[in-house]
Amino acid sequence: MERQNSGRVEVPLSTLRDGESGVVSSITPCHGRGWGFEKRLMDLGITPGTKITVVKSAPFHGPVEILVRGSRLALGRGMADRILVEVDRK
Amino acid sequence: MREKKLVIALAGNANVGKSVIFNYLTGLHQHIGNWPGKTVERAEGTLHFRGYTIDIIDLPGIYSLSTYSLEELVSRNYIAVERPDLVINVIDASVLERNLFFTLQLIELETPMIIALNQMDIAREKGIEIDIERLEKILKVPVIPTIATKGVGVFQLLEKAVEMIEKGTIKPAKIEYGGEVEEKVNDLVKMLEKLQLKYPPRYVAIKLLEGDQEIEQKVNWISPQIVSTAKEIAKEIERLHGHSCPTVITSERYEVAGCIAREVQRLVVPAKPSISEKLHNITTHKIIGYPIMISLLLLIFYLIFTFGNYTSDLLNNILYGYKPLFTDLFGSGFLGTIVWGAIEGVIAGTTIALPYIVPFYIILYLLEDSGYLSRIAFLMDNVMHKMGLHGKAFIPVMLGFGCNVPACLGCRIMETERERLIAAFVSTLVPCAARSVIILGLVGAFMGIQWALMLYIIDLLIIFSLGRLAFKVLPGEPTALIMEMHDYKLPHFGTVLKETWFRVAEFIKIAFPLIIVGSLAIKLAESFGLLEPIATILSPVTVTWLGLPAVTGITLIFGVLRKELTLVMLATLMGTANFAIVLTPVQMFVLALVAMLYIPCVATIAALVREFGWKKASFIAIFEIAFAIILGGVTFRLLTLANI
Repeated sequence: MERQNSGRVEVPLSTLRDGESGVVSSITPCHGRGWGFEKRLMDLGITPGTKITVVKSAPFHGPVEILVRGSRLALGRGMADRILVEVDRK
Repeated sequence: MREKKLVIALAGNANVGKSVIFNYLTGLHQHIGNWPGKTVERAEGTLHFRGYTIDIIDLPGIYSLSTYSLEELVSRNYIAVERPDLVINVIDASVLERNLFFTLQLIELETPMIIALNQMDIAREKGIEIDIERLEKILKVPVIPTIATKGVGVFQLLEKAVEMIEKGTIKPAKIEYGGEVEEKVNDLVKMLEKLQLKYPPRYVAIKLLEGDQEIEQKVNWISPQIVSTAKEIAKEIERLHGHSCPTVITSERYEVAGCIAREVQRLVVPAKPSISEKLHNITTHKIIGYPIMISLLLLIFYLIFTFGNYTSDLLNNILYGYKPLFTDLFGSGFLGTIVWGAIEGVIAGTTIALPYIVPFYIILYLLEDSGYLSRIAFLMDNVMHKMGLHGKAFIPVMLGFGCNVPACLGCRIMETERERLIAAFVSTLVPCAARSVIILGLVGAFMGIQWALMLYIIDLLIIFSLGRLAFKVLPGEPTALIMEMHDYKLPHFGTVLKETWFRVAEFIKIAFPLIIVGSLAIKLAESFGLLEPIATILSPVTVTWLGLPAVTGITLIFGVLRKELTLVMLATLMGTANFAIVLTPVQMFVLALVAMLYIPCVATIAALVREFGWKKASFIAIFEIAFAIILGGVTFRLLTLANI
């Protein structure tokens, strides 16, 4: 799942630790479901190039709480799996 | 001279205080209905100001003007086609960037507008200061700072709105996108300017690049060539940026919103976290978030049902106290019995609706307004996902344990029709207080508490599997949780009470006629001596298949009115409340099981009709009857085989 990209790694948002930030690189489309959910995410400010900070995730693979463009959002785990972000990882 | 009429629409994101402003402006002169042919709510109110009669339309809270949801479509068509005299864009000063994203789309529509920069107090608490003059200059739109919950700035807002309409409106600034996207938009605008379109050319150009199907169709009627040119341009943009064209446009728009926000706001992060921040951290905490939620819910539950039981009994006693007076007036003959039947319906409705539903709504709106509802959804998302629903659905299901009616009405908090329906269906299977009376009063009392517990477990399993089944069978995509958790704030009590009042009035309108007709029908059947024949007609099902005494056919019919009547009537007809004499343990268990599942009560059916229409409501009712009968019969045979 991980891809090396000039020192930065591209990982799903759901793999970020609490407090870690990443920059959105792309949103994986969902098979056979149109693009409604992508549109929704983007309307809420999750567009490529946006910085996202993971605040925490609910236990047992629950939703993820993120900060994006000054607002606080909750995303279902499946949704967070489809948002790919670039992070600095040594 | 007749007063001149003006129409002003309120538009903005969800949870920015739009409805508080709406309530301040219109008071009780409100009308809540649906948009024609849509399940989207339409709130409209009037006020008189400076010789004008002003109609205020409160548009649904949305994040964008695309066609993602019905709410967005309704709002967009209203602004673009019906053209109100002015749009008041209510924005949350504490989340400026995201709110400006919506403002920019309103500006693209070239609608005359002003901005209410609301929740200034929350912004200040977060250390955000906004240069209002600068914002006005950039957008070329008047901006009025407001704190709607305290009524601050609402009068100035209205003054400014009327002033703008009288002056004839100033055009908002053209908001330019970055480099070549702006160029491409302009190319399209030049082509579109030649056509006579209802919409502004720049708006159409942007929507075409966004691949908006509704606009595409409309332009295609006039000039298919422009649509194909737009598609080529979109492909070029896609090639240049490496993302789909709608993504690029949305990103660009957010880029502009971000630039404006950064230019006008100054952030002084407060030294210590605010109270709302602390509350958020505690209530969504991985460990202590759950006990807090459970205790709070139990407390609410306890409060609603203590209050409900008490007031329900009180009302019952008062209302039944008039029976002797009534009998004196109408006598106890045929007419008297029938009219009393109708009145009993009203009593049943009143003693259900008022004591339980009113406090339920008040608490629901308090939870929603304060922001706690979204935290519950965050904590419960995981569990509800197993049923194909997301976190928010936990709320109606939980309420169902008290009464299914508010549970069904509470399903409105779900985003899509499909989820509303699944959640409502699941809620009707939850054992409400009345069904608990049957389970505990029959099975619990005469067979032992472990059997009662078993019924609850069976019910939960059924809820879970039927929920999953509905989720698999119903067409449409399951929506994952995408939800804003806005900052905690003190709810505005006036707005909460008004919302409650409108919901209750709505419920009375729908449920009361049905309840009255229902109890009239049963009274009529009773006085014509039809109950016995009905029991006989039903006996193949009740006696042969379910193994119950024939008389249960009658009690189950009464149970449709109010579920606990199943038990009450059984005692009356059997002439004893010691059911151990008249029923075998197997019969008790089967009867309780069937009563638990066989049909939502009349009030719940009314709520289903209100929310989903007759067709879906009857389908749910018929399905549950069939399901209960089949399951009841199978259980009867299994238990008999097991020799219990």
